[in-house]
Amino acid sequence: MLSDISLGRFVDTRSVLHETDPRLKIILYIVYLVAVFVIGTPQALIALFALTMIQLITAKIPLSVTWSTLKPVIPLALFIFVLNIFTIKQGEILWSWRFIEVTDVGVSKAVLMSLRLIFLILSTSVFLTLTTTPLKIADALESLMSPLKVFKVPVHEASMMMSIALRFIPTLIEETDKIMKAQESRGANYDTGTALNKLKGYITVLIPLFVSSFKRAEDLAVAMDARCYRGGNNRTKLNPLKIKGRDIVVFVLFLAGAAVLIGTDIYFI
Amino acid sequence: MSDAISVKNVSFAYKTDEGQSLEVKALDNISLDVKSGAYCAVLGPNGSGKSTLAKLIDVLELPDEGTVCVLGNTASDESDIYAIRERCSYVFQNPDNQIVGTIVEEDVAFGPENLGIPNPELRERVDEALKYVGLYDLRKREAASLSGGQKQKLAIAGALAMRPEVLILDESTAMLDPVSRDEFLELVEKMNREKGITVLTITHDMNEAARCQRIFVVKEGKVAMEGTPSEIFSKPDVIREAGLELPADIGLVYELAKASGKVIREDDIKDKDARIGAAVRYAREAKAVPKVKQLKKHENTRKILEVSDLSYSYDGGKTYAIEHMDLDVYQGEILAVVGKSGCGKTTFISHLNGIVRPQSGEIRFINEDNSVLTTSRKKDIAQIRRKVSLVFQYPEYQLFEETVRKDIAYGLVNMHAPDVNIESRIRGAAIISGLSEDVLDKSPFELSGGQKRRAALAGVLVMKPQVLVLDEPAAGLDPIGRREMFDTICALRETGTTVIIVSHNMDEAARYADRIVCIKEGRKAAEGTAAQLFESEQKAREYGISMPLLYEFSSKVKEKLAKEDPRFMMMPPLPDPAHEAASIIRGVLSC
Repeated sequence: MLSDISLGRFVDTRSVLHETDPRLKIILYIVYLVAVFVIGTPQALIALFALTMIQLITAKIPLSVTWSTLKPVIPLALFIFVLNIFTIKQGEILWSWRFIEVTDVGVSKAVLMSLRLIFLILSTSVFLTLTTTPLKIADALESLMSPLKVFKVPVHEASMMMSIALRFIPTLIEETDKIMKAQESRGANYDTGTALNKLKGYITVLIPLFVSSFKRAEDLAVAMDARCYRGGNNRTKLNPLKIKGRDIVVFVLFLAGAAVLIGTDIYFI
Repeated sequence: MSDAISVKNVSFAYKTDEGQSLEVKALDNISLDVKSGAYCAVLGPNGSGKSTLAKLIDVLELPDEGTVCVLGNTASDESDIYAIRERCSYVFQNPDNQIVGTIVEEDVAFGPENLGIPNPELRERVDEALKYVGLYDLRKREAASLSGGQKQKLAIAGALAMRPEVLILDESTAMLDPVSRDEFLELVEKMNREKGITVLTITHDMNEAARCQRIFVVKEGKVAMEGTPSEIFSKPDVIREAGLELPADIGLVYELAKASGKVIREDDIKDKDARIGAAVRYAREAKAVPKVKQLKKHENTRKILEVSDLSYSYDGGKTYAIEHMDLDVYQGEILAVVGKSGCGKTTFISHLNGIVRPQSGEIRFINEDNSVLTTSRKKDIAQIRRKVSLVFQYPEYQLFEETVRKDIAYGLVNMHAPDVNIESRIRGAAIISGLSEDVLDKSPFELSGGQKRRAALAGVLVMKPQVLVLDEPAAGLDPIGRREMFDTICALRETGTTVIIVSHNMDEAARYADRIVCIKEGRKAAEGTAAQLFESEQKAREYGISMPLLYEFSSKVKEKLAKEDPRFMMMPPLPDPAHEAASIIRGVLSC
């Protein structure tokens, strides 16, 4: 069923990393993102592997979840691997067959590139998607971007829109399911027949979905008006983001980890 | 007591997109006062201007003429608008469209956050409101995962956190099942009693209105009548003229009074005991059994649908939505499927035309020549869908074509019905569903709510199904709309169509259905006529359903009659007030 789709794949294991202030996690994420692209030595890669393991353990992410996050990326990683290995012509030739040549530089580049992709996905999950609810990410972005308000960037509005969109995703999924069943009762067809037929089937779902979304938007606007919504000025928050001592400890430790990583890389370069 | 709300000579017309006022005024020189701390209802048919009135009171619209004064503030300049909205909360009809926060407690906080209430007061307000409505334990849940009844309680909590003095309910119970509706109303009544909050509720539900202290009947943008419930309901003719109807118990008192040549008085209906007393008195005074139309009974016919040992689980066998269900459906009957929310009714009916395929068990459709189709065979499904049509709740969302005509034709064209005259079928379907011909070329999105419902129904009737399954066909309609919907259903039975309706409204199920099936926790709890199912309150409770108000009331009247005169002949209850009145009088006269 449609309602089985879960978005953001938040896994609630209530670890230290889950509780850490989302703003710090976003900063850490950016730091690790940069680190992943900066490092290039095998020693640093081993250090990165060790660090990622520590992160996964801290976040109490079960192996099965880690595997299911990585699984869809593997074909892409393989593709990058193959692409690199056959296109890089620098260095010593290790093996050749007709016009295909594999060089030592090619192999190491290929390994590095595909590992980068995998670590990229892992740090995204460990700092953001698996440990932080989408709502908290929206909150953190609003807070991090708030200096932009000086330049008249509608930061609050953007964040409000994002959280409303998140709020309505389950509602709209439910509704889509309902409309599909109703149209199916009238003979609509989504999965057999020609492409044109399928398209026609989906139109019978999309139009009512759009119409009702607009109606919902209108209703919601009136309801927000009735609840005294007046934009972001002077608004308070029930759960304001607050950085606690523990958050700083986590932040500093992971930051130190990143420093060690880059240090290792520079040392062995 | 001072007035919480004072509306004086207010007129209002909606504007077109070009800014011109529509010719028909939504409100036409209307005036009314609501005392502080009162619990009032606004009644009226669809389009009478009730909701517009509520919106003007909460300053969501501004009057064209006249003044609206709420809690001493006049809604005219900008600063007063928020002064009013802060103290006057509004709960809308659709629970889904008023929840802003993703998490329960964050939604409750939305209002006070807008007011700039700082912590810890903010936290205090939110927790207090959540505890008051009984959602505190669910405060960290996602709002979307709540049930309909819980969502409306969440809306109330959101209102409470504003610490309002006035609460406006705009058909807030229309989409709730009877149990949630009762809980919701009890909550509102508690707020009115304990916190002195003035409540103005807009409703189609006469039983709900009867619980209020004061009723305003609005018709064509004006107040047609104002008074206490007993004042209002003792004038049945005015009620009917305003497109409303009597609550079932008062309806029986009215019929008994009519039969004895009397007119119902205010004192007769001021409370439950008075109603029973008056009914007994009028029943004794009657000289003759009033003439009533013969109730149409469904003759036993051939079996058309057969459900055998059907089970279905959404979670791979941990819990069952439907378990070992057996049911026979006969041609030309109206069968009601009743049961609490979440008992498996929707899952069950989704099986009937193969939208959901059985995990175990079977659904068989029996043709006139005794050949059998089953939803377990994939190749039969298209054929079954031509014979068994399913209409879900609020079917108006399924409209999508440019014109009503095309939309009605959609299913027929899709099902590749060979050589039928499509145009005549469209007209036929429109007539049965009560759609006038001039709307056929309009866009379905221009129609009124009731017309949309009919257009959606026509889009199914056009396929001339032999079995029509309707999930809550009258949900959200006003009393006239409900009656018309059931008239359509009865007319369909006349043509030999089998109609299966899912209903929360026991009075309607009892009144219109030939047989009733009651589902409890996925299993068939009972099956039979209304008289069998609602034989006693205790039995009904066992099945997990409530008694129809008429039966509950009438059984008390009959008990009292039997106590006073043991010769009184107890007859099984009949499902509409006129027939039941006749049956009671027959019982009295036989003494």
